[in-house]
Amino acid sequence: MAGNFWQSSHSQQWILDRQDLIRERQYDLQILTEEEYQKVFIFFANVIQVLGEQLKLRQQVIATATVYFKRFYARNSLKNIDPLLLAPTCILLASKVEEFGVISNSRLISICQSVIKSKFSYAYTTDFPYRTNHILECEFYLLENLDCCLIVYQPYRPLLQLVQDMGHDDQLLTLSWRIVNDSLRTDVCLLYPPYQIAIACLQIACVILQKDSQKSWFAELNVDLDKVQEIVRAIVNLFELWKDWKEKDEIQMLLAKIPKPKPAPQR
Amino acid sequence: MDYDFKMKTQKERTKVEDLFNYEGCKVGRGTYGHVYKAKWKETSDGKEYALKQIDGTGLSMSACREIALLRELKHQNVITLIRVFLSHTDRKVFLLIDYAEHDLWHIIKFHRAAKAAKKQVVVPRGMVKSLLYQIFDGIHYLHSNWVLHRDLKPANILVMGDGPERGRVKIADMGFARLFNAPLKPLADLDPVVVTFWYRAPELLLGARHYTKAIDIWAIGCIFAELLTSEPIFHCRQEDIKTSNPYHHDQLDRIFNVMGFPQDKDWEDIKKMPEHHTLTKDFKRSSYSTCSLAKYMDRHKIKPDSKAFHLLQKLLLMDPNKRITSEQAMQDAYFQEEPLPTQDVFAGCPIPYPKREFLTDDDQEDKSDTKRQQQQAAAQQQQQQQQQQAQQQQQQSQLQAQAQAQQQQQQQQAQQQQQQQQQHSHEPNSKRVRLSGPGGGPQPNQQVHPGQQQQQDFHQQQVAAAAAAQQQQQQQQQVQAQQMMFNQQQQNFQQRF
Ligand SMILES: Nc1ncnc2c1ncn2[C@@H]1O[C@H](COP(=O)(O)OP(=O)(O)OP(=O)(O)O)[C@@H](O)[C@H]1O
Ligand SMILES: [Mg+2]
Repeated sequence: MAGNFWQSSHSQQWILDRQDLIRERQYDLQILTEEEYQKVFIFFANVIQVLGEQLKLRQQVIATATVYFKRFYARNSLKNIDPLLLAPTCILLASKVEEFGVISNSRLISICQSVIKSKFSYAYTTDFPYRTNHILECEFYLLENLDCCLIVYQPYRPLLQLVQDMGHDDQLLTLSWRIVNDSLRTDVCLLYPPYQIAIACLQIACVILQKDSQKSWFAELNVDLDKVQEIVRAIVNLFELWKDWKEKDEIQMLLAKIPKPKPAPQR
Repeated sequence: MDYDFKMKTQKERTKVEDLFNYEGCKVGRGTYGHVYKAKWKETSDGKEYALKQIDGTGLSMSACREIALLRELKHQNVITLIRVFLSHTDRKVFLLIDYAEHDLWHIIKFHRAAKAAKKQVVVPRGMVKSLLYQIFDGIHYLHSNWVLHRDLKPANILVMGDGPERGRVKIADMGFARLFNAPLKPLADLDPVVVTFWYRAPELLLGARHYTKAIDIWAIGCIFAELLTSEPIFHCRQEDIKTSNPYHHDQLDRIFNVMGFPQDKDWEDIKKMPEHHTLTKDFKRSSYSTCSLAKYMDRHKIKPDSKAFHLLQKLLLMDPNKRITSEQAMQDAYFQEEPLPTQDVFAGCPIPYPKREFLTDDDQEDKSDTKRQQQQAAAQQQQQQQQQQAQQQQQQSQLQAQAQAQQQQQQQQAQQQQQQQQQHSHEPNSKRVRLSGPGGGPQPNQQVHPGQQQQQDFHQQQVAAAAAAQQQQQQQQQVQAQQMMFNQQQQNFQQRF
């Protein structure tokens, strides 16, 4: 569906209000600080990215999975479902929706196991604890909480058009593309329409590459520049956070701190 | 997963069986699920819904695609997804959709039966035009949203019965994640299902790897021709379809037999098709030198100088790049000419077609075009056995009726064979393998035998078919009685999404 964004469920149901988002997170924010909360989501965005790469999924699918993940927790506490379970579930669902062939359940589990061991051993000292039945059960909860809104518009397509329109080089595209990937580690995909995110990412890329001459080009765009600035700020904040963050030293402590699901009472 | 979270959502979740009555009301069986006619339990509004229970458990890729797309689409000629029910305990998925009393497969079948019985069906003059216009309207909406239907055929074009949307076309089953749609994946790797080839564009049969809008347009052309003549224009034996290969000799032969073999200038890129070498090896242009669409349609009483024919010709162009778009089609002179298309395709006239009948669990409302070949064979065998049993159980007094019916059928047969001789060898004379349940009713032109049936079995089959037809008639009466309860007043229903 490359069709009409404005009539999509993404536009009508899933561009959230910042206040609303803060309200929904109240429970988790009594336990984690805002910064810690963001760091948890940066970590799991990485988990989804690495899982997706290992499964040879396209970036579009990985991005969609990440947005599912963020949408679920925009309406739920981290306590409700262990993010380590939800992450591969989002991958599974996104790959079906984006039509890239079905990932077999056993392959998904074995990739989870090996990725946790090889890439995230600094965070998890135990094996990946979930099996197919857990993921399939979780998938129903995910679909329900997404209210069956599965088509997600991403900034990649508008970005391609913008860069083309600017008449610019691969270097600019590569960099802004990567900034779009980075933006998935912020809340912007929950708060702004994708074309605004694309413009913001392109702007950041132009600044980094010192393409000052593009200022007038941006000024001529028919877009709410305040919104674009908000997005730019969110992404720049992420870069700041990243600069000083020693993820490897901190993550175990953070994961230990997040609220955990309560198991069924023993009879 | 958190226990409290589970309990809380479980309490809040509404179950489909608490909201709707649908047990025993199955009206359709598709490749991917069962379709029930459902009614709201609590409120007394008589509004009907279709409840599609997806086969198997959990979320298949096709279920995902259907939910994902239907959730976004909103057009009066595209079926509306009202709500999704997930049953966590047995992992079943239900889709609640508009209930459409009719579809083109049943409508065309009704006309064929009438034609074979030399009976008239009274419908408004502009009905075919109205149907076609609304199909284009819906497809134009899909195409402008970059949704390709990819499986257009009469069974997937629904038509609303009496009610607020009377006579409105609803396109169903879009974006079907039949795996062979997956971009970049060759058709060959994927789908083992025998989907019908009759509506497949020539470029697909020659190995084109990607679905395009033009492929949908070809299928609409086929449906248009079928609406005009009541015969599937590119009817072809389906017994020996090798699904692992998109190239299908018999289907191409059939297309050339109607259309003639394409001239180089008609379709320049035909040389670039993956199966072009096979084509040149297997076919000789000269064998089709006398064939043309104009002649074919003329034989079916559609004049080559009519507006209908002109439009048809623009849809059934061999070269996909030359086929017109849905937008252009909607501007065509055919639609400007009287009678103009109407919103209600029945234009206020009484609807001559029967309502959907309920199927029982072991019935197969088979559309031969959608079955797995193996299933087909197995089901045929079963049916034959059942029929033979049924036959043995028949009372003496019924034998006479059977004999009569048999005689009738043989006459039909003879007639058809005569017609066939006048026309081409693959003329569509109902060679579809149809295992009709009670839905079929006693159809004079119904043939239960597969094309390759041995002469010997043949006679027996005919007798058996007659017996089956009688049983069907009885069941049909029962069903009609049941249906009476389902014709109450309609009220509004708040949509969930
Ligand atoms: N909305 C509806 N209202 C009434 N009947 C319906 C509706 N949708 C489907 N049906 C009936 O059920 C049958 C199967 O449904 P559907 O076409 O959705 O299944 P499918 O799995 O896509 O099958 P196929 O691949 O054969 O099209 C249809 O051919 C039609 O007779
Ligand atoms: Mg169908």
